[in-house]
Amino acid sequence: MSGYLFSRLLQTLVTLFVMSVLVFGGLHMVGNPVDVLLSPTATPAERLEVIRSFGLDQPVWVQYGIFLRNALSGDLGNSFVYNQPALHLILQRMPATLELAAAALVMALALGLPLGIYAGLRPNGGLAKAIMAFSILGFSLPTFWIGLVMIMVFAVQLGWLPSSGRGDTVDVFGVPLSLFTLDGLAHIALPAFNLALFKISLVIRITRAGVLETLQLDFVRFARAKGLPEARIVLVHVLKNTLIPLITVIGLELGSLIAFAVVTETIFAWPGMGKLIIDSIAVLDRPVILAYLMITVVMFSVINLAVDILYSIVDPRVRLEGN
Amino acid sequence: MADPVLSVQDLTTSFRVDGQWRSVVRNASFDIGPKETVAVVGESGSGKSVTAMSIMRLLPPGNARCTGRIAFEGEDLLAGPLDRMQAIRGNRIGMIFQEPMTSLNPVLKIGSQITEVLRQHRGLDGAEAEAEAVRLLDRVRIPSAKQRLGEYPMNFSGGMRQRVVIAIALACSPKLLIADEPTTALDVTIQAQILELIKTLQEEEGMSVLFITHDMGVVAEISDRTVVMYRGEVVEKATTEAIFREARHPYSRALLSAVPQLGAMAGQDRPLRFPRVDMATGEIAPPPPTADTVRADAPPVLKVENLVTRFPVRKGLLRRVVGRIHAVEDISFELRQGETLSLVGESGCGKSTTGRSLIRLEEPSGGTVGMDGHDVRGAGHSELTKIRRDVQMIFQDPFESLNPRIRIGEAIAEPMIVHGLVSHREAPARVADLLERVGLSGEMMQRFPHEFSGGQRQRICIARALALEPKLIVADESVSALDVSVKAQVINLMLDLQENYGLGYLFISHDMAVVERISHRVAVMYLGEIVEIGPRAAVFETPRHPYTRKLIAAVPVADPSRRRRRVVAGDEIRSPYRPADYVAPKRLYREVGEGHFVQIHESEAAA
Repeated sequence: MSGYLFSRLLQTLVTLFVMSVLVFGGLHMVGNPVDVLLSPTATPAERLEVIRSFGLDQPVWVQYGIFLRNALSGDLGNSFVYNQPALHLILQRMPATLELAAAALVMALALGLPLGIYAGLRPNGGLAKAIMAFSILGFSLPTFWIGLVMIMVFAVQLGWLPSSGRGDTVDVFGVPLSLFTLDGLAHIALPAFNLALFKISLVIRITRAGVLETLQLDFVRFARAKGLPEARIVLVHVLKNTLIPLITVIGLELGSLIAFAVVTETIFAWPGMGKLIIDSIAVLDRPVILAYLMITVVMFSVINLAVDILYSIVDPRVRLEGN
Repeated sequence: MADPVLSVQDLTTSFRVDGQWRSVVRNASFDIGPKETVAVVGESGSGKSVTAMSIMRLLPPGNARCTGRIAFEGEDLLAGPLDRMQAIRGNRIGMIFQEPMTSLNPVLKIGSQITEVLRQHRGLDGAEAEAEAVRLLDRVRIPSAKQRLGEYPMNFSGGMRQRVVIAIALACSPKLLIADEPTTALDVTIQAQILELIKTLQEEEGMSVLFITHDMGVVAEISDRTVVMYRGEVVEKATTEAIFREARHPYSRALLSAVPQLGAMAGQDRPLRFPRVDMATGEIAPPPPTADTVRADAPPVLKVENLVTRFPVRKGLLRRVVGRIHAVEDISFELRQGETLSLVGESGCGKSTTGRSLIRLEEPSGGTVGMDGHDVRGAGHSELTKIRRDVQMIFQDPFESLNPRIRIGEAIAEPMIVHGLVSHREAPARVADLLERVGLSGEMMQRFPHEFSGGQRQRICIARALALEPKLIVADESVSALDVSVKAQVINLMLDLQENYGLGYLFISHDMAVVERISHRVAVMYLGEIVEIGPRAAVFETPRHPYTRKLIAAVPVADPSRRRRRVVAGDEIRSPYRPADYVAPKRLYREVGEGHFVQIHESEAAA
């Protein structure tokens, strides 16, 4: 197990390094942030001063060397725009995004699992077909369009739910969260559902396929021959086997929920990381982009690790080993 | 006879296929008396498993329909709601299935899979249920039962899993046990253990057994009465002795004559075809004598010396080799043109790896393989291609060894075109010729594999192997997956081809009776080593190595009058895993007869 963790850590470090080289080189080729940030009326002297203060007068490999040295001591540089530590900027926005992603994930599982199990048990029933039709819609309708329609219906016409912002937050261990106030819950409902819709469809499909497949297996027939009640066969024998593929997919999807909630955050004006990164890319704010991507890499690694560990708990045939 | 425990009357089971009801079992009737064992025997598609599933009402309600009457202890199982079956299944009727590897849920602990039955039917709870589970595992002879409750099925071997399944089926002392091919997937020594176990438990519990099998040997061994099924109908039912002595229905006779019987070859010095039976009249035509095909004058076509194939087992961060699977360990043998050498042994003994190592489908770790004068291990790419042309393989599963999306004509032509034997234009004529040689017709070449039955597919695989005019065919369990009568036909075909083309066969099999029928010489493998090798008659009639004797003793004898109570050793098949620093001892052989060698123990060698 410790060998496994160590090899995982090593992999993450290599990924971080490769990613930072690519992003550094890529951004260098795309353009000069000074051109974007500086007003056209600035004098050449001012311009040189800014370039010098950002360290952009050095050759790119020297810039990268400086970045690497600072990164190793935990400093990912200051934002060109906000002149604040990039890491600090991102961590400030992170709770909002994590909260949104978590709410979406819970919705995806709470709705997707039961619907998927039902559709798997009665694949030819009318309700099952309706569920599958819904999941096709969930897959194919663009997120932004559904978001807009939801705002139109629930916020504008019915007036039931607010359409933007986080609402009231309370500090939990110093982190502001919306989930624990009524107003906050009302604010998170629409964006979370919007974000969850695709995942619900995904969970339904995977669960249905898993249930259908597992029902054909010999041990289910044997469980019936043992005289077990149908509820136990489905909820214990079938479900536990169905969870195995589900965990893998959910793990990957959780990562993408956190890292790429950009569209939903933009539509519902949710003050999360997604909006920050889009703005930063527009102005080539290299330290923020780099810091954001590094955090994403670490997050994906941690999620994958959690998935692997969960996997080995659910499926005893899986053993964790370094390779 | 006392009132039957189970009485099946006019059972007809139909399945809905494309909106139409098709009957799979028609008007089946039979009884099972108290403490009686009734075997239902038949080949695939005979409806024997469907009958069992109908009794338990395990068929999908929407797509299957049963009519007739199934009276279990007087009550009709087919009448009344399906829910009522829950109290009967696993409680008053226990059931075991064929595949022990898949009958248990892989992600639940063994303990919970046993206790759930006890909770359901016997109202036991917590510690009580656990204590009972330990007692049940003890009863099916699983050592250190208490610790094993917390383990998952993957920690159990096939035989051990089948014991667990039996423990579950018998947890509530059922009046009737339905066993659907319970030993078919097991090795022969393990099969003997499980059959003994079922017999013993049956006596202890006083229950009746419905035993479904395709294996006449098992039938003779275990059942009091036998029901023969053919294409969904019961064609004959009688006491087992009567069936074996004087079967009335032609199909029963055909089935019996196709059963390879161990010991049937006594006095024969060559392989022997199976007799052909006329399905309409039941007339048995004696097999034509087999020609002497062995080219004893020519040098052997295959010469294997000290072949070793090991697989490293790596662990840890640096992937250090911590041990090796000694799959093939220091084996030597020769094979002449027109000769059949059988490699026989149980799962994991290295017989398949040996076959694959010959043409470097697995890379050997040591020794030499000489194929028609070529050194296989030293061969470069082009020489290896040439060697592989001379050695063709036929595998066990005819369903998996043909690409489902390639027409069989193409599949057979491909190797000839690759090796430049024929042009694209000439290929169809050659393919048609090959198909006819294996008893199919040339017009079939446009069809896809799924349009053929298992036996036909195996013929196609043989045609494909013949396409390159090989000198040697490695047949890896090639007839194991086939039904008895189809198996007999394919073996007859292989013997015909040997006569016509002087083929050498390396016949890899676990089935002792088939091996006895087809071989000139036999090598018995155990844990990667050959423990005994010699002429077929010598090995089967005067086996010298204890393992050979054990293997032969474990084979069920298809003759109820020779039924015997066996003393079966309860040991498991051992694994050829060895630590990295293990040095394999040099094995010595003693010649006990002409060409008959037996591995001897070191202590004997010193003496």
